[in-house]
Amino acid sequence: MAEEFEPRIVAFLCKWCSSAGSDLAGVSRMEYPPNVVPIQVMCSGSVSPLYIFSAFNKGADGVLVSGCHPGDCHYIKGNYYARRRLNLVKQLLEYIGLEPERFQMSWISAAEGTKYTQVIKDFVKELKPLGPQSKLRRTP
Amino acid sequence: MAKIDTLKEEARKLLQDGKVKYIIGYGAGSNGWPAAPLFIKQPEDVDKLIWDPTCIHNLVRFLVDEKRRKGKEKPPDKRPVGIFVKGCDSRAIVVLLQEKFIERGDVYILGISCEKAGVVDDAKLAKKLAGKKVITIEVDDENRFVLTTAGGKIEVPVEELLAERCLECRANFPVIYDVLSGEKTKRAVDKPFGSVEKIESLPVEERWAFWKEQIDKCIRCYACRSACPMCYCDECVVDSIQLAVSADTTADEKAGRIKWIQRSAAPSENMIYHLVRAIHLGGRCIDCGECERVCPLDIPLRLLNKKLEKEAKELFDYEVGFDPDLPALISSFRDDDPQDFIR
Repeated sequence: MAEEFEPRIVAFLCKWCSSAGSDLAGVSRMEYPPNVVPIQVMCSGSVSPLYIFSAFNKGADGVLVSGCHPGDCHYIKGNYYARRRLNLVKQLLEYIGLEPERFQMSWISAAEGTKYTQVIKDFVKELKPLGPQSKLRRTP
Repeated sequence: MAKIDTLKEEARKLLQDGKVKYIIGYGAGSNGWPAAPLFIKQPEDVDKLIWDPTCIHNLVRFLVDEKRRKGKEKPPDKRPVGIFVKGCDSRAIVVLLQEKFIERGDVYILGISCEKAGVVDDAKLAKKLAGKKVITIEVDDENRFVLTTAGGKIEVPVEELLAERCLECRANFPVIYDVLSGEKTKRAVDKPFGSVEKIESLPVEERWAFWKEQIDKCIRCYACRSACPMCYCDECVVDSIQLAVSADTTADEKAGRIKWIQRSAAPSENMIYHLVRAIHLGGRCIDCGECERVCPLDIPLRLLNKKLEKEAKELFDYEVGFDPDLPALISSFRDDDPQDFIR
């Protein structure tokens, strides 16, 4: 029997909130799917659209960008910039025909370990029926 | 369409008084037609200037080149450069001012309103002419293009020959100028984003099929980048690999370098290049259509940029190229920006 497709997710987590949130999920021994490759960034506002395109280009099935809730940014307004910029990225990716589920954003605070596991669970569940992402993937 | 006699006189005066370094305008092309960019330094050459619906080019790109040249001049000639602009081109100047790439004193803007017409689309025109050679092309009072060919005159309603972007242009007069010729007439457009909406209405797999076919054609000649007045980065992400290699770059350094986008014209790399370019033009593209015009493979690049113009308008109520004092789209935000897509 063929193995079930396991999507690979690249998650850009901000150092101050979402990354700490994922840590909390870990130390609290909450269970969540092992499909995520977390990448710690200093702020969701520092995530260049190129990081996202590049992740898809190098074989990610889904990309998650997560930062502090609006108003909680360590750098005061980084997540507001991210919200605006990445909205455009999302619209553009959908426009060229990438499935809208493949790029997602979330606000996860350092205290929201449970929310982190839930976001990952939902993301994996949504990606499974889509199969591997081959549209933007680098052709050898 | 407006006449440029007053602008010619103005240009002559500017050159005679030495108030401008030179003037960039439109002149007759190498076959006499269609128009081509023209640089004038002598007052007596002013008569070579023309204005007709084939003045397609966005001359603002030359301001970017001028800025680079000026940096090398010793001592720098600080006089402004005179430039002829249409409505769309003037918005490009606004964006450059917004980004403080140029200063208002660097340019003397000679604005021409397209009034109710605009510029022609090469392909549509060629089809209409079916091999005949055009001598002149004008717009008459009843808003028709009058094509004078050796075999007589052909009259066509403007809508049939206008470039796609002109059909979706909401302000076809210069928004910023020192002298203006023609009236400020706003065109009533039913669907300013009609072409984008057509693609959006397709199901996701058809959208992908459409873009894949288009982007696969790309040969990575970077003509779109060269013609764009907004693509002025000193080092583009696609050729950072090439630029950073010098005689003393070690193999280790080369190996450790991030290859964001490979230089081969593979479909996936082309797609990333065009996505990056589109995102970089988000809230900056003024829809002059130059990328699409210069593309040797006719990729509808305008549609990518137009999509982000649409989102800027609809999501953030941001109109590109009207107010030089407004902060740029992605270097500003509002507390109530939409976030329903965020979990």
